Amino acid sequence: MKPYDAIRTRLARSPEAGAAAGFSVIFLVFALATPDTFLSHSAISSILNSQAVPGILAIGITLLMISGEFDLSVGSILGVSSLAFLYAIVNGVPILLAAAIGLIVGGMLGLINGLLLISTGIPSFIITLGTMLAYRAIPLTAISGGRIIRYADYSRESPVLEVPGLVVFIFALALFFVVLWIARDIWRARNQSVKSKILLVAAFFCFAYLVFEALLPYPLMPIKIDFFDALNGRIGTGNYRTSILWWIGLTSVFAIALSQTRFGNAVFATGGNAQAARLQGIHIDRVRVTNFVISGFLAALAGIIQVARLKSVDPLRGTGLELEVIAAVVIGGTLLTGGYGSLIGSAIGTALTGMLRTGLVLMQVPSNAFRGAIGAIMIAAVVINNFVRKER
Amino acid sequence: MVLLELKNIGRRFGHIVALKGIDFTLEDGEVLALLGDNGAGKSTLIKVITGVYPPSEGDMYFGDEVIRFNSPQDARDLGIETVYQDLALVPSMSISRNFYLGRELVKQVGPFTLCDQAAMDTGAAAALGEIGIHIRNAGESVARLSGGERQSIAIARALHFGSRVLILDEPTSALSVGETRKVLGYIAAAKEKGIGVIFITHNISHVFEVADRATILSHGEKVGDFPICDVTQDDIAAMVMGQGIPEHLLISCPNHSKRQ
Repeated sequence: MKPYDAIRTRLARSPEAGAAAGFSVIFLVFALATPDTFLSHSAISSILNSQAVPGILAIGITLLMISGEFDLSVGSILGVSSLAFLYAIVNGVPILLAAAIGLIVGGMLGLINGLLLISTGIPSFIITLGTMLAYRAIPLTAISGGRIIRYADYSRESPVLEVPGLVVFIFALALFFVVLWIARDIWRARNQSVKSKILLVAAFFCFAYLVFEALLPYPLMPIKIDFFDALNGRIGTGNYRTSILWWIGLTSVFAIALSQTRFGNAVFATGGNAQAARLQGIHIDRVRVTNFVISGFLAALAGIIQVARLKSVDPLRGTGLELEVIAAVVIGGTLLTGGYGSLIGSAIGTALTGMLRTGLVLMQVPSNAFRGAIGAIMIAAVVINNFVRKER
Repeated sequence: MVLLELKNIGRRFGHIVALKGIDFTLEDGEVLALLGDNGAGKSTLIKVITGVYPPSEGDMYFGDEVIRFNSPQDARDLGIETVYQDLALVPSMSISRNFYLGRELVKQVGPFTLCDQAAMDTGAAAALGEIGIHIRNAGESVARLSGGERQSIAIARALHFGSRVLILDEPTSALSVGETRKVLGYIAAAKEKGIGVIFITHNISHVFEVADRATILSHGEKVGDFPICDVTQDDIAAMVMGQGIPEHLLISCPNHSKRQ
């Protein structure tokens, strides 16, 4: 194989390659056009901060799209769960329980989507178009007259989660042993070079040192966590927010699940050829319903993370978000027809749409032109991806 | 030794009789061709054998035991594997992922169970090599393979996972001449391993190349059951087209269909 061909097939095999290339080109254009403003911490942090919420939604949408399904209702689920979460808080429900309520509401709404799909057999595009409208009616009727529910009307203090010292200690100990367990299994795996074993041991001792360093000064001391800051507060004194870490962390976890587990294989097979998957003993309906529940759950989590920063909910929260997210996922290289896609690609696609919005503003392009640019880039991305995929 | 035996199997869908009084046997290491015109009941019979439809009447035996399937999984658990023409593989996935789909090899990393992709790549390449299929790269996407290559991977998969009965539903109908040769070769390889093969086809000349016996269905009933050495292609064609059993066969072997 010639080097050029090798590169081309390698590119064609990774769905996110097109998005990464597009991202680099657009990044360069903005960096050259407005170097002073675009390459600043304030611009980059504003891009990442604003894309964390759509980025988390994109995880669920990508899983669903790879399994051949579609979810238009995530924006509405985000709205309903945000409302449930904040409504619970202002009615005096403890903060952790309120968050659990929000997540369960999101998961349930996703479950309804999934059960409707497998019981009726109607395409998920239609079902979630219906539930998008139906779920939206909940905040519209619950919050009368376009009112906004504000956390500040309820309390001036941020909700604080007090964790008893014993819980912190047990949690740290459990984490330590799980990491020890993982390290042991990696150690035992075949085909390990001496060098990688040394690295593994070094990494493990660094981790152990950090855990003990962090805990030793505070034996069994309770710690106080500002709940909103943990979800979406500033990291240190910079402009970057913790929501970015949630976005990266969740994307990593689901990317590993998708590429390395039996469940991930089942997702790809269900979207690639549902009949073949079924004949190999995969429960395709279970895969679909699971993905709808994951999508609803992540929409709720994204909603709660957004509430943690905005500290309010209005009836239209999350409207239109689904289309922006779907565009980002398509730019990221995931096929609408199923069976092919990547979560890394979706994260790049989400970052790309955010970069485009901020970059165009900095270039003093009227902000309404942003939608046109997203549309044009999405179509271009699909054309390029189709071309590259033919070489697969 | 008789591997699979069906006695007086019938299947109705409402008032429609799809199968009636079918007696059917398959032995170890035997290639049985199942023939019949469209609508003769071939697919229904296969679906009864693979547990998709329970029979309305009659009994099935696997070895000496009476069997009753509640789902296709029950049939798979006994080692009855079916290779469907277009439904075998997921084109967008790699060869090794397809090979182990639903039966992935896993490794334990701490509390997590992850797929052992390296083991699956080498395992799939080795299993394919065993029956003479040599692939460049087990990570290659199935979409790049020809119809014959896909068919052979599906057959190799069924053989590898310990199937005792291999059912091939028109495996050669969409293949080129060269690829058909190969697939017929894999059928012979399966026979060598002592697997009973049921081979559904419309191509009578393929029957004569690999099959030991032919069972012909017409309008949901069994027309007859003949060792290949006793019949000619014209005889089979006549029976498939519903013209009944040719007279010279009735004379030479009057109790053909009762013979076990």
